Amino acid sequence: MKRREFLVGSALTIGAMTIVPSELFAGEKSRKFKVIYDFDLKYDAKSFPAKLWNPLPFNSDYQKIRFLKFSGNYDDYNINSNNPYDARVLYASWKKSDKKKTLHVEMEIETKTREVSLKLIKKASKQNLPLPKDVEFYLKPTEHIPTDGKIKEIADKLTKNIDDTFQKVQAIYDWVTKTTFRDPKVIGCGVGNAGKMVESGYFGGKCTDISSLFVALLRAARIPSREVFGIRLGLSHFSKALGKADKNGFANISTWQHCRAEYYIAGIGWIPSDPADITKLELVEKLKYDDKKVKELRARYIHSWEMNWVGFNHARDFVLSPKPEQFPLNMLGYPYAEVDGDVLNYYSPRAFEYKITSQEVK
Amino acid sequence: MRYIFLILVLFSFSFAKVVVIHVEGMTCPLCTMAVKKSLKKIDGVTKVKVRLNTKKATITTDKKVGKKALLNAIKDAGYRGKIISGKN
Repeated sequence: MKRREFLVGSALTIGAMTIVPSELFAGEKSRKFKVIYDFDLKYDAKSFPAKLWNPLPFNSDYQKIRFLKFSGNYDDYNINSNNPYDARVLYASWKKSDKKKTLHVEMEIETKTREVSLKLIKKASKQNLPLPKDVEFYLKPTEHIPTDGKIKEIADKLTKNIDDTFQKVQAIYDWVTKTTFRDPKVIGCGVGNAGKMVESGYFGGKCTDISSLFVALLRAARIPSREVFGIRLGLSHFSKALGKADKNGFANISTWQHCRAEYYIAGIGWIPSDPADITKLELVEKLKYDDKKVKELRARYIHSWEMNWVGFNHARDFVLSPKPEQFPLNMLGYPYAEVDGDVLNYYSPRAFEYKITSQEVK
Repeated sequence: MRYIFLILVLFSFSFAKVVVIHVEGMTCPLCTMAVKKSLKKIDGVTKVKVRLNTKKATITTDKKVGKKALLNAIKDAGYRGKIISGKN
């Protein structure tokens, strides 16, 4: 059994990410969660090799990994961010054998409500400042986030005669939250194929689908934006539709992966948003778009996140390190594993096999 | 005994056929597994390799398997296939 422990402030720092100064956050309430991942990889052959890539959270002003330790019977491992998005990954591999393939990961994560003042956003937006070079990366299209064709047509139509950047964001956000709906039949968080969504004209999906549409339209309107893949950690104080826990603050979060979004306004930085949770609230609580509670969440989620969630990365259509058999990877919100060259079904914790739990620490 | 085994191996290779199909619509690693599983259900298919980056499925069969059966299996998985090459 191999064990590794990290006091993470230094071990897991995020790469080139622009962070909004903490004084801009209105909400500062802190929450702590102990998160545990348990893997026991399954395959239909008795003897097999295996490789596992598990996303790790980034550190920022609104989320910090206070502690990380892991152990298992892996033959090799590393923590790397060798990809264009600096996505942090815990990699473990097992040689061909009939022994169990196990990995246990424990983290303590501290989060703070993330909210950027609307007043400051509007003020910065009016200044129309130039974009920093590193942020321009998030204007580029990817396989699943096209910025031409129908996406561009819709973005142009929605932002016609609007000069102010935040007003453009508002127009796109309103259209996305009104047009899309949560389709519970979609597997996992959805593929997040914005091009296919507009081509098909079917706007049902889950969080990755809806966030990707939002991101594609914003990029087409020349506003930097990105998905933020992560996982819900516990109780939402706004609605049980957005996160639950038992009376002791414990939750099995194995299927609670959730994709959010951010957009960038020069002079203020990255701003949180979550159009997909509007549609989830509507579906789960059987509410309409103009119901009071939906209106309230719409107003909040164009500039804030409730932090009963932790973010992993912004990576889309990229190649993991070490290079897997299959690439590029659409997104990394779930654990990813290849067993004797075959991809394990990451949408099914039981088939994979993994379990993720979270205990809120009071 | 060894010679019989070698003759059997050579005999099986003489009937081996490799077909390469371009698969449209695969967007994530799990798509490759759906295509692979569907193709492996066909009697006579011995090996299937599907690659997301090239969008290609390479199928080895031990007896005559119709190209239509291979394309139908890909269609059943929810994707579209186009034969690139197929030879004995």
